[in-house]
Amino acid sequence: MVLGLIYGVGTGIIVIAGLFALRFVDAELARNTEVVFGAIIVVVYTALPLFLGIDDTLDPRRFALFGMPNSKLASSLAIASIISIPAVIIAAIALSLIVTWSRDGISVTLAVVSAVLITATCLLSARVATSIAAFFLATRRARDLTGILGVVALVCLTPVIAALASVDWREDGLTVLAGVERVVSWTPLGAAWAIPADSANGDFAGAFAKLGIAILWIGVLWLAWRGLVALMLITPERQPQAKRYAGLGWFDRLPRTPTWAIAARSLTYWGRDSRYGTSLVVIPLIPIVMIIALNIAGVPLQQLALLPVPIICLFLSWAVHNDVSFDNTAVWLHLSASTSGIADRWGRVIPVLLVGIPVLGFGSVISVWVQGDWDLLAPLIGVSGSILFSGLGLSSVMSAAFPYPTARPGDSPFSQPAPGASPAGMIQAFSFGAILVFSAPAIYFAYLGITSDSAWYFQSLLTGLAVGIGVLIIGTFVGAAVYNRRASDLLAFSMRN
Amino acid sequence: MRKPAVRKPRGAKEVPSAPRENALKITGLVKRFGEKTAVAGIDLEIAAGSFFGIVGPNGAGKTTTLSMVTGLLKPDFGSVQVHGVDVWSDPVAAKRKMGVLPDRLRLFDRLTGGQLLYYSGILRGLDGATVKARTRDLAGAFGLDESLDRLVTDYSAGMTKKLALAAAMIHSPRLLVLDEPFESVDPVSAANVIEILQRYVAAGGTVVLSSHTMNLIERVCDSVAIVVNGAILDSGTMASVRGSKTLEERFVELAGGRKSAEGMEWLHTFSG
Repeated sequence: MVLGLIYGVGTGIIVIAGLFALRFVDAELARNTEVVFGAIIVVVYTALPLFLGIDDTLDPRRFALFGMPNSKLASSLAIASIISIPAVIIAAIALSLIVTWSRDGISVTLAVVSAVLITATCLLSARVATSIAAFFLATRRARDLTGILGVVALVCLTPVIAALASVDWREDGLTVLAGVERVVSWTPLGAAWAIPADSANGDFAGAFAKLGIAILWIGVLWLAWRGLVALMLITPERQPQAKRYAGLGWFDRLPRTPTWAIAARSLTYWGRDSRYGTSLVVIPLIPIVMIIALNIAGVPLQQLALLPVPIICLFLSWAVHNDVSFDNTAVWLHLSASTSGIADRWGRVIPVLLVGIPVLGFGSVISVWVQGDWDLLAPLIGVSGSILFSGLGLSSVMSAAFPYPTARPGDSPFSQPAPGASPAGMIQAFSFGAILVFSAPAIYFAYLGITSDSAWYFQSLLTGLAVGIGVLIIGTFVGAAVYNRRASDLLAFSMRN
Repeated sequence: MRKPAVRKPRGAKEVPSAPRENALKITGLVKRFGEKTAVAGIDLEIAAGSFFGIVGPNGAGKTTTLSMVTGLLKPDFGSVQVHGVDVWSDPVAAKRKMGVLPDRLRLFDRLTGGQLLYYSGILRGLDGATVKARTRDLAGAFGLDESLDRLVTDYSAGMTKKLALAAAMIHSPRLLVLDEPFESVDPVSAANVIEILQRYVAAGGTVVLSSHTMNLIERVCDSVAIVVNGAILDSGTMASVRGSKTLEERFVELAGGRKSAEGMEWLHTFSG
């Protein structure tokens, strides 16, 4: 939640700064920019709740048993939604519109009116969207699906913005912007933003027409909200049909020993639990985003082909550094069966190896084939292997020795545990850093190979694999010892979350 | 009173029976959480072949005691021995003899019922074929046949309890420690489960279960211990503990806290 807060406030500040800057630009350009970006903000306020499935404190159904009349409940909840961070952000943005249009008296007055309308529109849209998400998309599978889609959309947003930023705005950007603005300012999304903009440009008829549209739209949203509240109060929760999974799945395909049973359970969870699923979806996207961003910044695509494999290996091995706390109190089953620490550690590592080693092998070959220099295959495998294996060894120790609270089973993968004195950030940063430290020899030898003599490439391969596998084996042994000693402490820790 | 429960074999003559082995021996068990003492020194001996009930109000320390007995929670003081094996100094051997159904702890609920039973069996060291055969038997006995291919998270509360009980029994332990096994379970399923447990006890197994519903314990158990505020107020055979009253009356008498329903006249004047 803190991360989301920082992100939201940061974006808000950037928008406000932009609006301040628009004060000094000519009225036409200011109008076009402000209306288009304003419309985007309204879209964000409407779409974000639909995807993130936020736990709704103002859900009308929580007030169902108090016997309040519908209209009173609807208005109370709408007013209560003003007391929230997003409301403060949009209010700040709307108020900075006044600065943008402080060019003449009429514009300023209309800007004040428009600020009120914008805040009301965004807040009501967010309210309606949140309730629709809570009502229609409430089944576990719908939540998982929209959550993953939301993450994909957010992650893909960065390259889209980067691509947009690279368009040569000076040339045709302005005409495009003007065209978009002409359309958007007549839609409910942009109408409220366009009111002071039009008056500053002399188009008073348009300004008042859009004033009408904005007010009408708020009326529509209000009626929709009233209706939604009435519907939600009398409709029972949807009971979805439970999906059937015949057979034992991974448990049948793997050997019947405790270690492989834990591996089978881990694999099943990677496939079925949305907290693991989001990681699985995001991990391949991260290198794609980095490649696009770096390409726009000027690095040739061919060289960037070497990037995905190490990055994927890094995030794959880092993903299990807190694996025990994902199980939450279910670890009692391991405890009561006296599962040996070694079985538990290797059981959690095996699924990542099953995915990571093919990525390492095939991925490296494909990367080097695209890049063109086959000599680089050895150091690429050395560095990526070092990252993957030492990362897993480190995670084996960290998940037993330093678990920290995380999203509980069944919760949304974006829910964060109650903020307390949990050293989550420090542990995450430390594990990242430690993985890179262990891979430093392999990276160093690869660097030597590039700059001086290509004989160093083979050294990189050897060192990388040796250090990596060494850290993996030592890590699992140490992790197993820690686990055996701390098993009941781990259970007690999970019971507190 | 701490006497080993004596059971007469059905239809046999009265014979003086030799003292039986203790399935469970708890000595001086203490657990504190900060300022609060959850378990204040519990001593108990439960003979093999008993159907032992532990009753007490909410917050009496039953769950904490059973967690320490089964090796899930480390005690501050005291020792627990299962068939002579100390749970905390030789956990592997001790836990092999026990089957556990804990209260308020999650299961791996993204697995199907069948997968969870299989997982429990393999973790206990059984081989694949045995686990599959026993899964079939358990599912039939508990009425879970139709549900084994659904995720545990889609189960009702009662089905989850039954599944967890099946998972506790799958490795045929000598001692079953069950914390609130009949909570949310419907009467028909409860009757089936009780019959299974009674045949298990008749064959020499031991069941220790905790509950706060007295009627069931009175019907089913042959020995009982009453726990209030982390200490045992009375224990022994069912007959000796309850005397001439019902178990519930005896318990209320021992536990105190019974208030007469005076006052609250405003409840009888209706405002709606």
